[in-house]
Amino acid sequence: MPQPVYLDHAATTPVRPEVVAAMEPFYGPRFGNPSSVHRWGREARAALDEARERVARCLGAKPDEVCFTSGGTEADNLAILGPLRSQRAKGRTAIVTSPIEHKAVLETVHHAARDGVTERMLGVLPNGVVDLSSVDDVVDDSVAVCTVMWVNNEIGTIQPVPEIAKAVKARGGVMHTDAVQAFGKLAIDVKTVPVDLLTISGHKIGAPKGVGAMFIRRGTQIDPMFHGGSQDRGRRPGTENVAAAVALACAAELAIAEHDAECTRLASLRDALEEGLVARIPDAVVHGRGAPRAAHILNLSVPGTDSESLLMALDLAGVAASSGSACQSGSVTPSHVLRAMGVRPELAVAAIRMSLGALTTPECVSRVVELFPALIAKARRLSGVA
Amino acid sequence: MLVAMSGGVDSSVAAAMLVEQGYDVIGATMKLFCYGDDVPDRPCCSLDSINDARRVCEKLGVPHYVLNLESAFSRDVIDDFVAEYAAGRTPIPCVRCNTFTKFRDLLRKADALDAPWIATGHYARTRNGELLRGRDAGKDQSYFLWGIDRSVVRRMLLPVGEMTKPETRDRARALGLTVVADKVESQDICFVPDGDHAKIIARRLGADTPSLARGPVVLVDGTVVGEHEGYARYTIGQRRGVPGGFSEPMYVVGIRPADRAVVIGPRDALLGRGVVASEMNWLVDALPVGSPVQVQVRHRGTPTPAEIVRMQGGEIELALEEPVAAITPGQSLVLYDGERVLGGGFIERGGAAARMTLPVLAA
Repeated sequence: MPQPVYLDHAATTPVRPEVVAAMEPFYGPRFGNPSSVHRWGREARAALDEARERVARCLGAKPDEVCFTSGGTEADNLAILGPLRSQRAKGRTAIVTSPIEHKAVLETVHHAARDGVTERMLGVLPNGVVDLSSVDDVVDDSVAVCTVMWVNNEIGTIQPVPEIAKAVKARGGVMHTDAVQAFGKLAIDVKTVPVDLLTISGHKIGAPKGVGAMFIRRGTQIDPMFHGGSQDRGRRPGTENVAAAVALACAAELAIAEHDAECTRLASLRDALEEGLVARIPDAVVHGRGAPRAAHILNLSVPGTDSESLLMALDLAGVAASSGSACQSGSVTPSHVLRAMGVRPELAVAAIRMSLGALTTPECVSRVVELFPALIAKARRLSGVA
Repeated sequence: MLVAMSGGVDSSVAAAMLVEQGYDVIGATMKLFCYGDDVPDRPCCSLDSINDARRVCEKLGVPHYVLNLESAFSRDVIDDFVAEYAAGRTPIPCVRCNTFTKFRDLLRKADALDAPWIATGHYARTRNGELLRGRDAGKDQSYFLWGIDRSVVRRMLLPVGEMTKPETRDRARALGLTVVADKVESQDICFVPDGDHAKIIARRLGADTPSLARGPVVLVDGTVVGEHEGYARYTIGQRRGVPGGFSEPMYVVGIRPADRAVVIGPRDALLGRGVVASEMNWLVDALPVGSPVQVQVRHRGTPTPAEIVRMQGGEIELALEEPVAAITPGQSLVLYDGERVLGGGFIERGGAAARMTLPVLAA
């Protein structure tokens, strides 16, 4: 069996050794509860505060603007539902989002809609970017929250978040962006982009699963989702996960420090992968082609194939990829993102997402460029497409 | 080798035995339907079964995949299931699932993975390209397998068909497959988890569909003796829900969708001397008219000697040597020669000889 190739970094990434080392003391002697008054508590508290400062620096935020969560999904929920009560008190009753959001956002918005909030969708262009010309149609003075992801997790397209944020702020709404796939891949500075809330997740950047953070701009009113103690200024009650916060801070700093070099490296690998595959499979359709894209995601469909069979064949050959969206059972379902872009269903069911990252080398890319066209040829032979 | 794994003990042991025998095994669980919100304590998409199958594969050290065959299954199996009940018949969805889903659609997936063989946990056997009954007469599932394409038999492996159910369980324990060894066997149809098939019919056709609407219970001579709450709740030979007060026990002997009537009669009226089936599929070279065979008209029924009296297109008619009770349209007619499965079809009606005693079925 040749060396396995992991091309699913958008799903999750390996925890970096530096991060493991940074966490370790908090599973050992520094086990204290940050709310305790004694020495153990003070030690933990110091580590937590420092982690908060470090994450804040990575975002261009102030430390009190960072709230640790259990991950991206919790942060997205908090960002959408948290501001609703105070916004509705001001007569703002609409949520604006896009149909290509992550389920953590879409399902939360649907949930709020069942509670009486009006749901409004921005338009999406065929290249997978939110249509800015649709902003004026849906953003008005009744908008409570607008939530648009910064980098799409399935196809990697960069969304015009700064422009949308300006429009939303001009009408007095709260602006949230899910930056889970954007962090470490785009330069993010909340001093220059007028978002009020921003989500990041640890396990996409080399920290463990189960930790994320939300930037909450000063002055943004948020109701907590949980009730209990006064941890994190009451925004997120529950004893803080100190080790995970330290891990997130460590991974985030590394991602920022390596941002330029790593993005250049990934972009050139991604381009080699894309060009290599398209050269060998000329009718392959690269989703989001021509749109600004983050460096680490390539999503393509080959007519006459289906992702379910291709993913199995790839896995059996030692290559991990994804269809972009998996159901809880692990089965493959057609992507809502591609549907929103107007991709034909028979092409959407063939989508394969390859996402690059720390484990990706030029050898990985050449191996896939070699292997994938052969699998495609076979799949087409079986389906009767020439 | 692609092994269809339901997460139950039979297919898990099948996979484990094949791994032991040195096959390059790939486990696959088919996702066929969603319970939706109807069954709150069962997670959607048969998730528990999928997880069990995945854990067994992990233990065996083989890959496992979930294959989404929901839309094909809905079309080939559930649509037909509902249409059959609406037509006053009693379908066996497992037959169509084997024919279309497992041994056609899943086989295509096997092709895509270069897997020359496909294995399942059925209690049946194959030999030289022929299908045989399972060794355990009490568990034999060959009755459900008559519809598969004959050429597929050579690609099938049915390892537990050589064993009895207790042997399979012992084997599971010996193999350390504790997750599944003592799992309770479900007698339900997989997509009707609570045994209430009327619920599925109502969901597909609407609660006011004729087959679930009130109708008359009549005697063979036409006398109305009561009312029922939908003929789809009845099957030939059924006693439950049949009005009492007659000199002998009464059974459902016919279902007439045209006037929504459920026809009842004494046990004698259930007996048939002939049977007609459609969509005849041969798993051996087709036998000529006049050939003696054994037939089975229901799962776990006793095989009855019979003679082929007519074959026309996909239709076959047999004369039965002795009368058989409750020949039910929609069930399967399977032809055997001892332990060999010769072929089968879907029962349309009692045959010529039966018409004498069961005028209602000819109506």
